[in-house]
Amino acid sequence: MSGGLTFTMLDAAKMSTAEVYGAALCELGAEHRDVVALSADLAKSTKIGTFGEKFPDRFFNVGIAEQNMFGVAAGLAKTGLVPFVSTFAIFTSMRGLDQVHTDICYQNLNVKMIATHAGLSFGQAGSTHHCTEDIAIMRSMANLTVIAPADGASTGRAVRAAYERKGPVYIRINRGFDQIVYDGEASDGAAAGSAAGSDGGPAAGKNFEIGKAIQLKDGTDLTIIACGSCVWRALEAARMLEKTDGLSVRVLDMHTIKPIDKEAIDRAIKETRRVITVEDHNVIGGLGGAVAEVAAETGKSFSFARLGIPDCFSLIGQHEDLLAHYGIDENGIAAAVREMMGKDFEADENWDDEV
Amino acid sequence: MSLAIEEKSRLEKKAHELRLLSLDTVGWAGSGHIGGAMSAMDIMTILYHKYMKIDPSDPAKTGRDRFILSKGHVGVGYAPVLANLGYFDPELLKEYNHTGSPLGMHLDSLKVPGVEASTGSLGHGLSLGLGMALGARVKGESWRVFVLLGDGECDEGSVWEAAMAAAHFKAVNLVTIVDRNRCMIDGPTEEVMALEPFADKWRAFGFEVVEADGHDFDSLSAAVERALAAKDKPVVIIADTVKGAGIDFIENDYKWHYGSFDAEKAAKAKESLARYHERRIGTAKGEAR
Amino acid sequence: MATDAEYASSIFLYSALPLLKTLAEEKAAVRNAFAGKNGTIQVSVRPKPGETGETGEPEGQSSEKTAPEKIGTHFMVKDGKLSCFTRLAGSPDIELEFPSLKAFNGFFAGKSMKLPRIRGALKAPGLLVATFTGLLAMSAALGAKEAPKTAEERALLVKLFFYLLSSGISRLNKTGHPAVSKWASVSPDRVYAFSVDGRPDLGAYIRVKAGNTRAARGVYERSKPFFTMSFDSVDSALGILLEKDDMIEATVSRRISMLGAPEYGAMLGEYMKLVGAYAK
Repeated sequence: MSGGLTFTMLDAAKMSTAEVYGAALCELGAEHRDVVALSADLAKSTKIGTFGEKFPDRFFNVGIAEQNMFGVAAGLAKTGLVPFVSTFAIFTSMRGLDQVHTDICYQNLNVKMIATHAGLSFGQAGSTHHCTEDIAIMRSMANLTVIAPADGASTGRAVRAAYERKGPVYIRINRGFDQIVYDGEASDGAAAGSAAGSDGGPAAGKNFEIGKAIQLKDGTDLTIIACGSCVWRALEAARMLEKTDGLSVRVLDMHTIKPIDKEAIDRAIKETRRVITVEDHNVIGGLGGAVAEVAAETGKSFSFARLGIPDCFSLIGQHEDLLAHYGIDENGIAAAVREMMGKDFEADENWDDEV
Repeated sequence: MSLAIEEKSRLEKKAHELRLLSLDTVGWAGSGHIGGAMSAMDIMTILYHKYMKIDPSDPAKTGRDRFILSKGHVGVGYAPVLANLGYFDPELLKEYNHTGSPLGMHLDSLKVPGVEASTGSLGHGLSLGLGMALGARVKGESWRVFVLLGDGECDEGSVWEAAMAAAHFKAVNLVTIVDRNRCMIDGPTEEVMALEPFADKWRAFGFEVVEADGHDFDSLSAAVERALAAKDKPVVIIADTVKGAGIDFIENDYKWHYGSFDAEKAAKAKESLARYHERRIGTAKGEAR
Repeated sequence: MATDAEYASSIFLYSALPLLKTLAEEKAAVRNAFAGKNGTIQVSVRPKPGETGETGEPEGQSSEKTAPEKIGTHFMVKDGKLSCFTRLAGSPDIELEFPSLKAFNGFFAGKSMKLPRIRGALKAPGLLVATFTGLLAMSAALGAKEAPKTAEERALLVKLFFYLLSSGISRLNKTGHPAVSKWASVSPDRVYAFSVDGRPDLGAYIRVKAGNTRAARGVYERSKPFFTMSFDSVDSALGILLEKDDMIEATVSRRISMLGAPEYGAMLGEYMKLVGAYAK
């Protein structure tokens, strides 16, 4: 999986996630004439408008008509083009779901859906524009690949990977003001490879591969599996816990929820025996559910907790404040880790030395 | 402009053949959407046997015209059209609806050669067709897309989203046809959810409206040619049709949206179709009805 | 806080003595001595007043000089197979009873030749002989200054050391040694392991959690240990255990690998030294 992007980390720092995605799409569009893009009057918000400016005859704004947009995208895909369709996550996963399901997934078309403003990232807008159900919905669509990149650079890579992958892809991103987890390009050549079992570090993001979790930090006490905006927070929590509590916490960026990296989950269960999932999504049916499904089938016993939105419609507020409120910011995650470390999964409380 | 007598005769014969095959298919399937299949048959016949550039031996041929059966539930009417053309072995029709058969109530584009889109959920076909039409434009290709909708289907908002967009994008390579048989499951369309003034609605959405007799090949031919000559407004052909056309004991009866025939009824239906065909070709020969 | 004598005797009684069983299984001479024997063997010690320290009791009570209780370890022998129990038996066939911690520690450290009071010599002479055979073998092994001649004996020695060290550290915690019990009390659930590459049969580990410790033999399967002190061969292990090699140099040349954060390796090394100090 190569084909890096040409903007540096400096640019990524300046650009919001959505803009990185827009730039990545433009790059892709310049290289590949079969890329087209659609928007439902959200070209500016979803930043897909930059593609529209560069390639006006390959861009279609269908107005506030999401169902039509996904149907048109399917029709375009039928002619051999590769449509990137963007609107808010709530509209992709719910308003237009019949079209997503029947026109795109059932016919296994090459439509790449960029669902923005996922989770509570558009906090001020309230529940009509939040989306804490899309991972649960989308991962139950057959043929659909579901990705939640951790930051802007990762989104750019996901876009490119989506183009190269046959079939429908759903990529959920935020409003565009994510913390930076990965470098825009490898900062030092030496760190570019990802050795199994070693700390990935920011350069590990360069090896973005659909279906392969990125290990940002190794550890043996407990594993945090996160996606999207919670990845940075999980990493911060893990660093904090190492410094203050001396805990050895593994952090996995599970950017692909479907197909999920079963092997990484398996190793986390077998090697650390404690797993906490974190996502800007309902605790029901999202990343936590997906991980639980795999973990339960390992046949091993383990401690497990799902962090996320507790099956409720969220308060109104700034994204970061909401994350803190629902305990999925770095402090909430650290507290959850501490709580789990206090519990034991080994029923055996015999403390006699073996003789 | 009227069709030449030989051409019209050929089309009449084909339409009759296909109606019989559709009736047989409903028998093999156990049951089917016979009403809407009969009302749409002449439209599909004239498109596939006069106007569409197709190659049954190469369903993915570059530059071919596309047909989308947006009212996807009449698969028992559409599959015979494709089988008869040679897109697949007509013997498969005998396994319609059987477990594991590629043919089911709603035809699957991934399973049935010739089917361009997996429809069945109403209201999708026009968007899909618009997408294809825009795709042709992006690729600089000159083929056309024909989308056949049901009239009840036009209750779906997504149809109007697509219509608005088609007009906005001046998608004149998209030809829309509405099978206006005035019936839906729960009753006549005007009693369940009134569509009139139907033509006005399409005009308001930016379409040029051509009204046609859905069972008269001259009328249909003129309408299609008008549509194909469209310059800056897409055309919708509102085809006035009869649900269950040709089978007299089910004609115009909304209850026959879906049904099945026992052997006796099937025989009666066949006789009715024969009489219907005679009437139609009598007209073709210029005799008064 | 317990006295040094208590720490030492605890290690001898509950970490070193149980190795008799291992020797009976793996050293031919000891195995043969026990072959076909049946009965119960006990080693016990009755600490003298003053030999035991206060264990967290308020200062006012130290004047009560009641004799501390007898403690011991016993083995049940069945057709030559030994099972070990770190407590007193009802009526052992053979008992070696030491009159004080000092006598006990001295004997096991090889410093004193003063024999303990022996019971049951007449009734079960064969068992007694086997016991002494085993104790001598243990003393020879643990007192070794050089690596043994054969590969089999070298591997056995590494195993004995691993068992002794893991159990010894656990004992220090259980008897309240300040440094070790402080470490154990704040530790989350973790496992520290000793291993030799390619020799899972020689491994041992300690599980620690919130003040509790448990030493165990073999390889910890339930998860990756928090820390592993790993030797690339039996000889490398002996080099360190017999204090012939320099830890740093051995690490640099990869004869020993610390799998886990090095701070914990250093800490483990400290406790290993402690056990060694008490056991010598």
